[in-house]
Amino acid sequence: MVDGSAADEPSGGNSALGRRLDRGDPATFPEWFNTRKPRANLIVARWVPLALVGLPVLVLFCIVVYPTVWMFYHALHDTNMMRLFQSNWSWVGFENFATVLSSPRFGDSVVHLGIYLTFGACLQVLLGAALALILYELVKNNFLRVVFLIAMVLPMMLPPSIVGVLWKFLLTPSNGAINQALLNLGLIDQHIEWFNAGMSLWTIIIADVWNWTALPLLIVYSGRVSLPPAVYEAARVDGAGTWTTLRRITLPMLKEVIAIAFIVRFMDAFKFVDLVFIMTSGGPAQSSELPAYIAFQRGLREFAIGEAAAYAIIIFLVSAVLITLFLKYLKKVLKAQGFA
Amino acid sequence: MARLEIEGLCKGWDFPVIDRLDLTVEEGEFFVVVGPSGIGKTTLLRLVAGLERPDAGTIRVGERDITALPPYRRKVAMTFESYALYPHLSVFENIASPLRARGMAKAKIEETVIGVAKLLRIEQLLNRRPGEISGGQKQRTALGRTLVAEPDVFLLDEPISHLDAKIRHELRLQFHTLEELRSVATLYVTHDYAEALSLGDRIGVMGNGGLLQVGTAREIFQQPQHLFVAQHLGQPSINVVEASLSRADGSLQFTAEAGSLALPVAGPHSETLAAHKAGRITVGIRPQHVQVAKAGAETNGAAVVEAKVEIFEALGATGILMAESGGVKLMALTPPDAEFQHGEPVKLALRNEAFLYFDADSGRNVMIG
Repeated sequence: MVDGSAADEPSGGNSALGRRLDRGDPATFPEWFNTRKPRANLIVARWVPLALVGLPVLVLFCIVVYPTVWMFYHALHDTNMMRLFQSNWSWVGFENFATVLSSPRFGDSVVHLGIYLTFGACLQVLLGAALALILYELVKNNFLRVVFLIAMVLPMMLPPSIVGVLWKFLLTPSNGAINQALLNLGLIDQHIEWFNAGMSLWTIIIADVWNWTALPLLIVYSGRVSLPPAVYEAARVDGAGTWTTLRRITLPMLKEVIAIAFIVRFMDAFKFVDLVFIMTSGGPAQSSELPAYIAFQRGLREFAIGEAAAYAIIIFLVSAVLITLFLKYLKKVLKAQGFA
Repeated sequence: MARLEIEGLCKGWDFPVIDRLDLTVEEGEFFVVVGPSGIGKTTLLRLVAGLERPDAGTIRVGERDITALPPYRRKVAMTFESYALYPHLSVFENIASPLRARGMAKAKIEETVIGVAKLLRIEQLLNRRPGEISGGQKQRTALGRTLVAEPDVFLLDEPISHLDAKIRHELRLQFHTLEELRSVATLYVTHDYAEALSLGDRIGVMGNGGLLQVGTAREIFQQPQHLFVAQHLGQPSINVVEASLSRADGSLQFTAEAGSLALPVAGPHSETLAAHKAGRITVGIRPQHVQVAKAGAETNGAAVVEAKVEIFEALGATGILMAESGGVKLMALTPPDAEFQHGEPVKLALRNEAFLYFDADSGRNVMIG
C-alpha cells in the first residue's frame, strides 16, 4: 500500500513534494521565475490594444492637439484673417491678453457667465437631481417611469438651433405663446419684453434650463437606480423617515454622481455659444454675451484671430482650474469610499 | 474526447504561483484538485482554459498542443466560482449561449437546452433571469452552460462552495451521476476536502506551487506524503505536535517541544524512526485516534495521558473536544452522547499505531520516505 501508491501512479506525479516554495522568500523562487519574459495574453493579439488605442490617439492629435498648439501660437501674435492669408503676422507677446482682460466687454461677459453658472448650470443640476429622485420615489411602475423619462429627455435630443428658434418663437413679446398664456391667466397685465437689455440673459437661461435639465436628471436617476436596495431596507428597519433617508443616505451616496453632473454642466457652460447666438446674438447691446460667444464673435465673424485665441485660452485656463478642483473633490469622495 | 496532459506548467506574477506542475487527467476521469485558498487552484484552471498564458510548460488535450491557443479554440468548458451568468439573459439563453456562439440550428438548441435543464432539474426556471433565482439554481444554470458545450475537458472552479450545506450535498450527489461529466476529462477545483474525497476518482493536493500528492481518497487521507496534505484533509484538522525523539527503558518515545507531553512510539514505527537521523520530528495525530474517557474510568492501550478539557462542542452526530495535556492542546472526536464540562479532568487514550511522523524540516512523511 505504502510503496504501491507511488509506483502505480498512472501519470502526473507529486512533483512539488521534494521542494519548498515560500511566496515571501525570493530565495525559494525557481530559476524560470527569475528569467521569464512577459508574454502577451491569448485572448487578443498583441496589435489589437495598440490599434485600439493608437487610432483614437492619432485622430485626437489631429483634431485636438494640433489646433490647440496653433491657438496658443496665434494668441501671442497679431494674427487676423488678412495677415493669416499673407503669412505675415508678428509677435506681440501678451498684448492680446491685455486687450481682452482690460476690455469692459470681457468684464461684463464674466458677470454674465457667473449669472449663467448660478442660475443656469447649478439650477439644472439641482432641478434635475430633484426631479430624478421624485420620479424614482413616486413612480413605481416601470413603464410609467420610462414614459416620464422619455418625455423629460426629449428637449435634450433637439438640436440647439431648433431649441433656440423654438423659444424665440414662444417668447416673441407681442404675439408669442407664453406672453399670451400669461396674459390670459391674468398673471401679467402687459407683455414681458423677453429680449430687452435687462431680460435677454435670463431668457436664454430659461431656454437652456428647459433644454438641459434632463442631463443631470438622467445621471442622478441612473445613480439612484444603482444604489443597493438593502441599504434602504436597513434604513426602514432602523426607523428612518423619508426625509432622514434622503438626507442621510441617498444624498451622501449620490454625492459623486451629482458632482459628475456638475462637472458636465460646468464644462458645457464655459463653451456655451449656440443658444446665445441663435436667440440674441449676445444683444441687445452685448447684454447677454458670454466669454465663449465673444471668442466666437471676434474670431470667426470679425477675424481678430489673435484676440479670439486669447479669449479661448483664458476660458480654457479658468475652466481647467475649476474642473481640476471638482475632480480633486470627486477623487477624495471616491477614495473615502474605497473606490480609488 | 481525450486526456488532458499538463507538463512543467509555470506561472507567476509578483511571485511564482504555479511551479513546474505535472498532471494528467485521463479521459473519463474526475480529477479533483484540493488546497487552501490562494494556493493557485483557480490559476491552474485559468491556464488550462486559456485565460492566462503560462510562463513555461505545455498543455495538451489528446494529441493537440493547446498551450498557445486562444480559449475558444481549446474545446474546454469552464464554470466560474462567481457563476458569471449573463444577468440580462434568461436561464434558457444563458445555457444556450455556447450553442449560439457555435451557430447551432434553433430547433437543435432548444432540444439540447431543455434536455440539460431537465437533467439539472431547472426546466421550470428557463424563462427567469439570474437575478430571480437562488444560488443553487444559478450554479445549476452555470453548470448547464458548461454541459451543453460538449467539450473535451471540463473545468469546474469551486462550483458548489458558496451554497448552503444541504444544496451542496445534493449537488455533490448529482456530480456523481452526471454521465456528461463522467465521460470526459474533468478537472475540479475545491478547497473543501470532503468534496474532494467524495467526488474525486483521483485527488491532487496542491501546495508549494505544484501537487504534493496525487492519489485516491483513501491513499491521500491515510498515507499523506507531506504534513501539508495531512493538515489540509480532515475536520477537525489533524493535531500537530513538534517533538523530539528519545530512548527510555529501551523503547523509543517522543516528547513535545512545547511541554512535558511524552508518548511512546508504536512498535512498527520504531525501526524507521530510530534510523531517522534528526532527533526532531513532527507528529500528526488525527482527532479520531484520540479516545476520551472520564478521569476515573478504566483505560487500556499503550499511550494514555491525563488531560484537562478546554473546549467541548457537542455537534449532534459527534462531538469535538479540545483538551490540554502537558502543555499541548489536542483535539479529539467523541461519541454522540458524551458530555464534558470545561475544566474537567479526563484521560486521553491515543492509538499510537496510527500516528503519522513527518520530517521536522521538509515536512515529508518519514514512514513513506
